[in-house]
Amino acid sequence: MSAESHTVWGALRRDRGGIASLAVLALIALACLFGPMLSPHPYDRVFPDYVLTPASLAAHPTPSERDESVVTLAMRMHASVHLDMRSDGLVAVVTDDKPIDIRVLRALGRSGVLQPVDAPAVAGDGRRLEQPVTLKSEHFLFGTDANGRDLLTRVLIAGRLSLAVGVLASAVALGIGVVYGAIAGYLGGRTDALMMRAVDIIYALPFIFFVIVLVVLFGRTLVLIFVAIGAVEWLDMARIVRGQTLSLKRREYVLAAQALGASDRAILTRHIVPNMSGPIIAYLGLLVPRVILAESFLSFLGLGVQEPLTSWGILIADGARNVQSALHLLVFPALLLAITLIAATQLGEALRRAADAGRT
Amino acid sequence: MLRLILTRLASAIPTLLAVVALSFLLMRLAPGGPFDAERALDPKILANLRRIYHLDLPLPAQFGYYLWSLLHGDLGPSTHWRDFSVNDLFAKALPISVQLGVEAIALALVVGITLGITGAVWRRGPAAFGVAALSTFGLAVPIFVVAPLLQVAFGLTLRWLPVGGWADGAPSHQILPVLTLALPQIAIVARLTQAAMRDALAAPHIRTLRAFGLPAWHINAHALRGALLPVLSYLGPAAAALLTGSIVVETIFGIPGIGRYFVDGALSRDYTLVMATVVIVGAMVVVFNLLVDIAYGLVDPRVRYD
Repeated sequence: MSAESHTVWGALRRDRGGIASLAVLALIALACLFGPMLSPHPYDRVFPDYVLTPASLAAHPTPSERDESVVTLAMRMHASVHLDMRSDGLVAVVTDDKPIDIRVLRALGRSGVLQPVDAPAVAGDGRRLEQPVTLKSEHFLFGTDANGRDLLTRVLIAGRLSLAVGVLASAVALGIGVVYGAIAGYLGGRTDALMMRAVDIIYALPFIFFVIVLVVLFGRTLVLIFVAIGAVEWLDMARIVRGQTLSLKRREYVLAAQALGASDRAILTRHIVPNMSGPIIAYLGLLVPRVILAESFLSFLGLGVQEPLTSWGILIADGARNVQSALHLLVFPALLLAITLIAATQLGEALRRAADAGRT
Repeated sequence: MLRLILTRLASAIPTLLAVVALSFLLMRLAPGGPFDAERALDPKILANLRRIYHLDLPLPAQFGYYLWSLLHGDLGPSTHWRDFSVNDLFAKALPISVQLGVEAIALALVVGITLGITGAVWRRGPAAFGVAALSTFGLAVPIFVVAPLLQVAFGLTLRWLPVGGWADGAPSHQILPVLTLALPQIAIVARLTQAAMRDALAAPHIRTLRAFGLPAWHINAHALRGALLPVLSYLGPAAAALLTGSIVVETIFGIPGIGRYFVDGALSRDYTLVMATVVIVGAMVVVFNLLVDIAYGLVDPRVRYD
């Protein structure tokens, strides 16, 4: 770490807003990373009894959900079923006007709401079976989606991908931008004019169009998505780095290195680039939220990653389709995306303030 | 001034050429072709089809052919909607997209500038708070979230406005799409105006006006002229943002504009349609930037004599 980036971190530590945003981001990242492992519901597990359940703190099944499931159960058993609350617990009573095959009780074990207790079924006169059961208890804090999957787990899993694309695509943009900008600024003259003219030209275009063409035409792999986004978001980085290089290359220590016969490459990598880490870090902070937004935009159009992978954009698109019947499908992913974007932007602003403070 | 226009024009042409070449190459590099189907076509038929669409020629010849017809205003036949030429498709779709975009930018300018000025003049007033809130909202809530929320609020719950569709441009069908497109732009324009206006109000020449004891509205009007420059230069990027946004808005609200053709065309490898979208969008952005540059030169003498 160079002296410059040390001062940036030093100034950031005294910036309350910056620290708060950093904490929020860290919390979201940790939740996305470890939350799915801790969740009792895997992100791809389907609960057929709970489709489009709204978000709530209450335990499921609710009485109406329980009764609905019992009706489905009865249909599957081809017998009538009702639940009986006795002093020693819940009992599922199966009756029919024909003798009942005891094997129908297997359906009980496959039910989403009932759990057969480890006790033998009591057969009545062959037309009546009694099986002690307990009610399962599930919590869906964010509700479930149209396939009956836990939305909380899915939002967290999706966050992994959105955040990863945000970081990786920014890294791609950082790489291209720093190399391009440093070379243009250091060489100067006509090379610089030509290279920056090219940037101006590209800048004038709505380049998300090219990302779309790239992604549609070459398949929707994760690698391509972040490379494509990174490949169009490097322009600002190149401009900033070029400007910094122009001012740094006149400094005495660079002249000294040149006098000592250091190669251009060594001067750039050892003397110039490390000394502008402040502005680079600051801009990176503002780049990450833009990239996250670009990814969710692509995913929303159905051009992002494909099932079983998921991202916030995909969940939001899903929510937008079901907005009439289940608002929670849209609200929760959008909320998490919004919090992440605000926190990341605030952090970026704080980093910029810190970099400015470090320079003066 | 003429020099400015000419140099900008001179750089606009290679830009457009680069756009055409780049998108042409990208399309052809991609795997798959416009005549891929579940059931493979008879090779003879395929050869015929490829000949009709000039896909059998070597790549440079295809590119030359495309450029030549482009110069004649011919965007080529659509390979997906085979009864239509791309010109036909765009003749219907482009006016709709342009209308939406123009209305959105007009709304954004009127509301954004008003809000920005109010926020700068009364620093602790509700407008300044509104600008801050709107900026955060515009930043954090993308339009593909805003659009469905508006649909639920005004279309399904209140039932004031239709949820989607175009209905030949009936005004009630335009309100929600235009609002959705304009919201993020309002946020940006308001913030830009407010910041520039605050700077302008602190400038020496304004202080002099204050010292002369001019009325407040007169001082503000003087400050506004300088404060509008950043807004003016933002119009170029705004045009690009609106075009990108129109893809989402047209998809969500079911509007038959060019935004939808773009994604559909790319998915069905409709080379000419995608090319046409990129070329037209590129041309619109370039022309818009050119107009902004010229307007800038008219407003700011420093640019004119540079």
